Amino acid sequence: MKVLSRLLQIREASILLFIFLFVGCIGIVNPAFTSGDSLGLILKSSMILLVLAVGQSFVLLTANIDVSVGSTMGLSAAVCGILLSHGVSGYLAVGAALVIGLCIGAANGLGVSFFRIPSIIMTLGTLGIVRGYMLFYTEGRWIEDIPHYFKELSAAAFLGIQLPVWIGGIAAVLAFIFLSRFSVGRYFYAVGDNEAGARLIGLPVRFITVLAFTFSGLSASIAACLFVMNIGFVPNQTGSGIELQVIAAAVLGGVSLSGGQGSLFGAALGAIFLEVINHSLVFLKVPAYWNNAISGFLLLLIVTGDSRFQLWLKGNGKKKKQEQEDMNRSKLPKSGEDGYEDKVVL
Amino acid sequence: MKIKWFYRWEFFLLLLFIVEIAIFGWISPGFLHVNNLLFSMNDFMFISIAAIPMTLVIISGGIDVSIGSIMGLCSIILGVSWSHGVNVWLAVIIAIFCGLAAGLFNGLIILYSRVQPLVVTLGSMFLFSGLALVISGGSKASGYEGISGFPDAFVQLGNGSFLGVPNPVWFLFVMTAAFCTLLHFMKYGRSVYLVGINSKAALYSGLRIKWISLSTYILSGLGGGLSGILLTSYFSSARADLGSEAVLPVITAVVLGGTSIIGGRGSIAGTVLASIVIGFMQYGLQAIGLTSEQASIVIGAMLILSVMARQSSFQKVMQWFRQRKSNSSDLMY
Repeated sequence: MKVLSRLLQIREASILLFIFLFVGCIGIVNPAFTSGDSLGLILKSSMILLVLAVGQSFVLLTANIDVSVGSTMGLSAAVCGILLSHGVSGYLAVGAALVIGLCIGAANGLGVSFFRIPSIIMTLGTLGIVRGYMLFYTEGRWIEDIPHYFKELSAAAFLGIQLPVWIGGIAAVLAFIFLSRFSVGRYFYAVGDNEAGARLIGLPVRFITVLAFTFSGLSASIAACLFVMNIGFVPNQTGSGIELQVIAAAVLGGVSLSGGQGSLFGAALGAIFLEVINHSLVFLKVPAYWNNAISGFLLLLIVTGDSRFQLWLKGNGKKKKQEQEDMNRSKLPKSGEDGYEDKVVL
Repeated sequence: MKIKWFYRWEFFLLLLFIVEIAIFGWISPGFLHVNNLLFSMNDFMFISIAAIPMTLVIISGGIDVSIGSIMGLCSIILGVSWSHGVNVWLAVIIAIFCGLAAGLFNGLIILYSRVQPLVVTLGSMFLFSGLALVISGGSKASGYEGISGFPDAFVQLGNGSFLGVPNPVWFLFVMTAAFCTLLHFMKYGRSVYLVGINSKAALYSGLRIKWISLSTYILSGLGGGLSGILLTSYFSSARADLGSEAVLPVITAVVLGGTSIIGGRGSIAGTVLASIVIGFMQYGLQAIGLTSEQASIVIGAMLILSVMARQSSFQKVMQWFRQRKSNSSDLMY
């Protein structure tokens, strides 16, 4: 029992359980859903969200937020697409896209760490600036003439796994190793958990913040390259609104918005889960306009359910302690009864 | 004492507004007509009206990103109930109640689950916009097709004018006056600030903090409902995706107006002024020939620069003034 409750307290285990249950339920209704083909397709199309969620987790871990990833992804995709359609080599086009992501991310990080602008405001600003600049750059046109070889890359397979899945998987694993096996990686948790404390013990807090935003920007441009590969053209609205889905995916995977808590593994699973929900509706023969309502409802249900469940687990553990405390103390209000668990820090 | 308001943030916004009008007037003289200025305000009144209650939410330490979806939901509920034969004014009341209910839903989930407001309202943003699409898809207006053909009296609500001032601007006056009274001159407003500054202190001083944060979300839902109705009347068509792009401008207006995103600081006047500054900026840039998306470059830069200014130099300047004052008063005694 104790082991089970410990296991359920690990967010990754519960989200994995949710995914299996969900896929199983849909599979019972429509067996076509659980076929290897359709699951492979879902995995491939979830890579964009997965890469973005992994990048976003770095920022969320430092108790910041980055809402500019959608615009960054749009601009990177536009640059990559235009360069490709002008006959520039694929490596150069991808490289240019990555540099753009790095620069925008670093600019965000500098604004937040050196100019002390709250991250939601800084990235809200760059969201507008980058989106507007993208429309100047593309002159409001869609980019459609992407060379064929680049589009075919998305179908290229190695060991039976397609290239986008390789890219997303390798990026996630590298980020996971960086975050959990290197001391610099642990600094992200320290900065998010207690910024003042991290500074006092001599961690480079500002550098870590800049680094976090740079990773997020980089992830946006990797996602942009995957987008160009998968979709084969770049509409004006590329990536608009995806920032909220990314944050939802990370939160679903157990990354805390108040920083210092969560893992990349969880965020990646959260992204896959969101994509599974979106795709499952097709197999349930639900009309497409139900999409948002159901994913919103499920997000609320899971987040609320998980929070209540964790509170209940904590309460169970503390019950004995509390009974004693109640005996000793008169009725003082318990701490933690004031609305939210943590103070909101954005 | 008298020059205290002189270095308030609201004064800086007013200055920004005057400079902005002057620059646009200089570029295109036709811009400066009073009627032109007044009636161009109709274009962005829905942002201001949604931003006013949002100020309360942000001051109390929360955030509501579902406001745009509430606009769409209320708009489509108004349209669907009208097209099913309900009197249009009754439909307006239904839509207002729908906005209130949406806000209540947000607030209850935030209180019950103790999950951060951003996450909860993110979920309800998808939920409400999805519900709006489902309702519009389930009725005669399929998909993104709007419901139009409203009676003239309702269309005049967003397009007509009274005493030479357009109706939406009157709405703004009424909303500003009501919420200024609520936030700055009533006990309730003070307690909203205290919850935002330190919710534990608020709890121990006997405030009903749960009710206070719940009520700010209800008011925010009301704001979303009202601006959804106004938008429906202004475009004389009810659509599920009305206001879907409004979230970021609304939050930008609140933050540019001097409200601290972590709560505890801000004012209604600042929010209203900031939303007008942003609105005229967008209008002026469009008059010059930019699209509204391209104008977002200037607005984004304005947001970052103004917060940067407030964060660093503005406060230093204020400190310098205060020190000088206190030094000189020290010398006098």
